[in-house]
Amino acid sequence: MTTRAEFLGEIRREMAKTPGAFPATPALRPARPAEVAETIRRELAERWPETLERFRQEFERVGGVFYRVGSIDAVPGVVGRIAREREARRLVAWHPSALGRDLVPPLRSEGLDGEAMPPGALDDPRARQALRERIAAADLGLTGVDLAIAETGSLVLVSGAGRPRSTSLLPPYHVAVFDRTALVESLAQVGVLLEAWHAGEAPAGRGAAINVITGPSRTADIELTLTRGVHGPKEVHAIFVEAPWRG
Amino acid sequence: MTDLSVPFRERAGRALDDHFLQEALTIATTKFIELRREAFGSFPEGDALRDRARAIKEATLQRLDAHLERLIDRVEALGGHVHFARTAAEAREIILGIAKRTGARMAVKSKSMATEEIDLNEALEHAGVTPVETDLGEYIIQLAHEKPSHIIAPAIHKTKGQVAELFTRVLGRPAEPDPEALTRIARAELREKFLQADLGITGANFAVAETGTVVLVTNEGNGRMITSLPRVHVAVMGVEKVVPSMTDLMVFLAILARSATGQKLSVYTTMVQGPRRADELEGPDEFHLVLLDNGRIRQLAGTLREALSCLRCGACLNVCPVYRQIGGHAYGYTYPGPIGILLTAMLNGNAAVRDLAHASSLCGACLDACPVRIDIPRMLIALRKENVEAGRAPAAERSAFGAFARLLRHPALYRAAAPLARVLQRPLARGRRIRRLPLFFGAWTRTRDLPVVAPRTFSERWRALERER
Ligand code: SF4
Repeated sequence: MTTRAEFLGEIRREMAKTPGAFPATPALRPARPAEVAETIRRELAERWPETLERFRQEFERVGGVFYRVGSIDAVPGVVGRIAREREARRLVAWHPSALGRDLVPPLRSEGLDGEAMPPGALDDPRARQALRERIAAADLGLTGVDLAIAETGSLVLVSGAGRPRSTSLLPPYHVAVFDRTALVESLAQVGVLLEAWHAGEAPAGRGAAINVITGPSRTADIELTLTRGVHGPKEVHAIFVEAPWRG
Repeated sequence: MTDLSVPFRERAGRALDDHFLQEALTIATTKFIELRREAFGSFPEGDALRDRARAIKEATLQRLDAHLERLIDRVEALGGHVHFARTAAEAREIILGIAKRTGARMAVKSKSMATEEIDLNEALEHAGVTPVETDLGEYIIQLAHEKPSHIIAPAIHKTKGQVAELFTRVLGRPAEPDPEALTRIARAELREKFLQADLGITGANFAVAETGTVVLVTNEGNGRMITSLPRVHVAVMGVEKVVPSMTDLMVFLAILARSATGQKLSVYTTMVQGPRRADELEGPDEFHLVLLDNGRIRQLAGTLREALSCLRCGACLNVCPVYRQIGGHAYGYTYPGPIGILLTAMLNGNAAVRDLAHASSLCGACLDACPVRIDIPRMLIALRKENVEAGRAPAAERSAFGAFARLLRHPALYRAAAPLARVLQRPLARGRRIRRLPLFFGAWTRTRDLPVVAPRTFSERWRALERER
């Protein structure tokens, strides 16, 4: 087997033979990403209505369904309606600590058979397996959103404690709840935030996967016919809540 | 469009449907071209970003050792394992070793050119591990025991009727020839596999050195499934896929999907940093990154250095007049199209492309379409020259491809030549394919069958249709 030293040695030998095709540098990274991120957030705090409108347009363009409600308390009603229209009953949701509110009880009142995800890992493999089967059998997955990108209509979800990767993946309907603090305008701004998130040690509870979700799962592999929901959800719903509900 | 060189592809003795392939190719490539044009048309910063992207690639290659070191250190610090494969055989050995040690019986795979390049599936099967392709197109052609015909749309050569027949026969599920119903069947079949498989194998569209992040881009969500469900995740990537930082990554994401399918972003961009963290419910317990050389490293100072910037978006295939005629299969190697010729030379050596290097009219459409502005024609000429200097390109073959290229540039000439070709090929054609061409194409057909020129070319049919209207 080739070792790291041999492999890199070979690369260096070849590199030494050429100056390269033309003088070039990588993209200029923000020196203090956290500060730039803060500035972006401050500016967006004023411009959020335009950003939200752009997000809505792009999100709908990629096949998402957008809703706007005044407060988090109105969310279960919207989710209940989505579920009833699709004859969906079983729901899995991020843990209240990750979602910022325990929506399972009011969702039960809406007639949904809801379950919150555990706040962390499960050590017992059998419990883990059983939970995975329940997530796979669920009709709806309810999650929060870390970033909503206006330029592309995308939702960014970071995995972690209480926010398992499959909640937004296995059920055929994904419903995501967000407020103005998640809004960003562009991929370039996402770059700054990603730089900031990765600077220094990862905070406790942060997972290893970041997913940028741009509409429902799709394929055009059979005769170029656009078909939704091949592996991931066939519908993605985003509920914008006007009043931020997390401190 | 014409039927001059549609490759033979049905091995099960069923009737060929070259007209469908031709039309599918024409429709698909034309659609991809349009979508790409629209996407960049409404994206004024696109041109500058393409320049930026190319500069980042070049800058990364100039310090490739340092960026890879950083990537390796970061992945290891996150609890992942990094492996080094100089050759395809070494890469297979590494992956089989992981499969064996973890007791894997089934491996779910997400569309990955790198694993195709190293013929991983055959090796896995040999070792008693069932590989399951999970990209819908790849799944279809795996069931049919065929090869992909397009980087972005691997099963573009199959009709929905053929897929329905295939699902009915192989899966034992009676299927209607309706894309939506067929997709539902595939979803159910593959869902089970995702939930059962111990091992997930993917490629990598990018890897971010600074953060140790492997980035997978999919529309279906199979990349997400594999990074969420199996116990072990192995990502195989060519060394050139590394990018320095998240800031750089964003530049590539902004142009990749636009170039491939005209989307602003593909549906899922999945970024994974090593294995599952302590308080995470899901994600792999083990994460392995296999860094693959397989002919890439020596090109750092080679003729094909520029090709190391390729994002595998497929844009150059769609615009290539030769690819549009003959489709992906005729190239006979993992990577088709203009860039495929260069990558084939990179992986298999110049001798492998002594004929293929001439399967281009040097019209420059690929260079215009390429999001990172890779000068493919320049390198094709260089390859031809090197092969001639090495005494490897018989003049007859060169002129045959040259003649084909000239025909493509002159529709009138082609229209005149096609009927002639049909007459001339008669003594050679057995049934509907040509087993062996003497003279010009002898070496080319040694490894692949060439279907005969169709009874009527598309341009002839088109003219007939026009008259009927
Ligand atoms: S050479 Fe350019 S256009 Fe062709 S696949 Fe690579 S990046 Fe895309």
